Amino acid sequence: MESFSCPIAVTGSSAVTVAGYGLQPVLEALRNRRCCLHPVPEDLLKDAEGLLWGRADSFRAADFMPPLKARKLDRCSQFAVAAAGRALAEAGIITDSIPGERIGIALGCGFGGIANSAEFLAGYFQQGVAGLSPVLFPNTVANAPASNVSIEYGIKGPNITFVQRFCSAESAVLAACRFIEEGRADVMLAGGVDELTPLMMKGFAALGQLHSHASGFGEGAGILVLERADHAASRGATIKARIQSIATVGLLLPGFEQQGLNRLLPNRRCFDQLMVSGAETAVRPLLAAVQAPQTHFPGQLIGRSLAMGGVTLGALTGLLQPGQQGLHLAASPEGPCFAITLEGGDPA
Amino acid sequence: MTVPRIAITGMGIICGAAANIPVFRDAILEGKSGVGPVDLFDVAAFPSQIAVQVKEYDPRAWFTRRQATRLSRTDQFALLAAQEALSMSGLAGCYDPYDIGVCVGGGAAGMFQAEQWLAAELRGETARPAHLRGVLPDKTCTELAQALCLAGYQGSVTTACSSSATAIGWGADLIRCGRQKAMLCGGADSLALLTFAGFNSLKVMDPEPCAPFSLGRQGITLGEGAAFVVLEEEQAARSRGADIIGYLLGYALLGEAHHMTAPEPSGESAARVMTAALSAAGLAPGRVGWVNAHGTGTPANDVVESNAMKQVFGDRVQQVPLISTKPITGHCLGAAGSIEAVATLLALNAKTIPRTLHFRGKDPECDLDYCHDANRPSDCSIALSNSFAFGGNITTLVLGSAALPEEVC
Repeated sequence: MESFSCPIAVTGSSAVTVAGYGLQPVLEALRNRRCCLHPVPEDLLKDAEGLLWGRADSFRAADFMPPLKARKLDRCSQFAVAAAGRALAEAGIITDSIPGERIGIALGCGFGGIANSAEFLAGYFQQGVAGLSPVLFPNTVANAPASNVSIEYGIKGPNITFVQRFCSAESAVLAACRFIEEGRADVMLAGGVDELTPLMMKGFAALGQLHSHASGFGEGAGILVLERADHAASRGATIKARIQSIATVGLLLPGFEQQGLNRLLPNRRCFDQLMVSGAETAVRPLLAAVQAPQTHFPGQLIGRSLAMGGVTLGALTGLLQPGQQGLHLAASPEGPCFAITLEGGDPA
Repeated sequence: MTVPRIAITGMGIICGAAANIPVFRDAILEGKSGVGPVDLFDVAAFPSQIAVQVKEYDPRAWFTRRQATRLSRTDQFALLAAQEALSMSGLAGCYDPYDIGVCVGGGAAGMFQAEQWLAAELRGETARPAHLRGVLPDKTCTELAQALCLAGYQGSVTTACSSSATAIGWGADLIRCGRQKAMLCGGADSLALLTFAGFNSLKVMDPEPCAPFSLGRQGITLGEGAAFVVLEEEQAARSRGADIIGYLLGYALLGEAHHMTAPEPSGESAARVMTAALSAAGLAPGRVGWVNAHGTGTPANDVVESNAMKQVFGDRVQQVPLISTKPITGHCLGAAGSIEAVATLLALNAKTIPRTLHFRGKDPECDLDYCHDANRPSDCSIALSNSFAFGGNITTLVLGSAALPEEVC
């Protein structure tokens, strides 16, 4: 049941990360094992010394949209609009050529909306009702990035956002593949988006997570273009990879971990490329069950986030040679876990 | 190939109008609104100072001191409603824990607690970090999975006011496609200063109890709470002897791609999602008896939804009442879709179309039957439940009563 009744192709992908715009900078970082993280400014936190983060400081929203529009969007929406535009272009999809009703979007979102929420509330706490900015409020919701992408590109098909810990993007990719399989959409944008703010670092510090979960946090967006393989073929699109299966469990129950693992990886255990996403501490118990000559930990190089799965799936797609088998493993300390298998190129 | 029907075998609720299903049934059928003053936080500065708050709520009546401190108000509501739903379903021990998943629709989640941390931080005071633990909506899902030992799928849908309706539709689909055998689906949300101030700042909060589809309506009345349903494939549920209390026959979701806060004005998108949901259920519009509207009471929403009804039901539209239960429950944001799904099921099983409360006068732009005068008896076994959200994320559920004929779907 982990596979889909129709082959699902990846025909486009893009990213915004600390490494830069697009997936090439991420792939170069992976190939050269170059860490793109930089020090957290010491004036931000008392105990920030030695801490690294992956803020996408080189990203300028005005490079991708008119400045007036950029000012109306929250940072996550800016990332998502920029990444989605490039992914659609790479897939050769001009939205006018495919009815907007047949294109959908499924995004995982991490802390999207939190920055706007904090700014909105700060206005009230500091100035009362006079400090409330109605412009900020609409973008306090986690679905703002997917919605702003849909508005920007006229995407009128299924539209859904998930927040599910370090597997937010994987949750979205599963839904996107299912919507394609069901025929709810011909094309789905799918992936994840997250942001990293100084206030979040203060929150991590307050929770005592600064040197554990929050260490090496990053931000950005990673978005794939998914479609039925026959749909891609009919419009002459290049198929970069095919998603073969997506398996997930919510928890690895103590004492019954093997049953959970068997559901995650029911068939194949050997892969050419293995991509680790999410919280590495949660993924490590799963690694013992699989074999791969090349294992990548992109979180160590570009930073982890709750929705980094979109970037890492895009990177895995970029690394796979035609015919190669890839595995994307993602997990959160309190669940869930995802195993997504891909085959490089177009077997057809 | 026959598509399996998805049965509903349990439901649970807590909201400002009722603390459990039997009381909520009475509230829906007797039109008992929970609207009243808010005392959860200071609302004196706002034009609208009312909501459907869960009153006289003492977490210590349900949770240990540690749980009451650790769990956000939203997570507590979720656990209470989920436990009622699971208890009703008798699901315990019937499936492998890996075969039972959880899908939660979230909204402001633990923002009520987190904003206390922010206020203290801004004042330069020592803030309680525990207030931050539930700030993201996925915490609710994790708490449910761990507390109830559900090891299957875990997912949190965050599409604002349509979150929990979508969570139910998506959860049903996870069963339909064979990934799970049972799902606990619903939503939870609590009042928070963020949303109270936010909707006031947008000037869409009515100072009086919300009056959907009425002349002179000024907007929403917020609410809070949680509602969950237990979904299973029908034959599996029957095989284990479960009581079937309704059906989730289909759903649809889409993005309007129009505006972050304003609905697409022609109603074309709203009509499209209702039509798509019926199509997913394999039903013609003629099978629908009534529609539980999104029905917020904002001037724009109610006209758009009325116009959409005309596009879906055509000449028959005056025979398909469009009602709103939000005057009873308030607009519960992330929990709204699941609360209204439960309200719809209860009314279907009672063969009653609920009345839309707080009528203020007939609006010429809202010219359908809204049951403003009284409940309406109905033998129809199928109803729609609409949930529309910020960002144009709109969802429709197709619900069937326990007495649904076998030939449907």
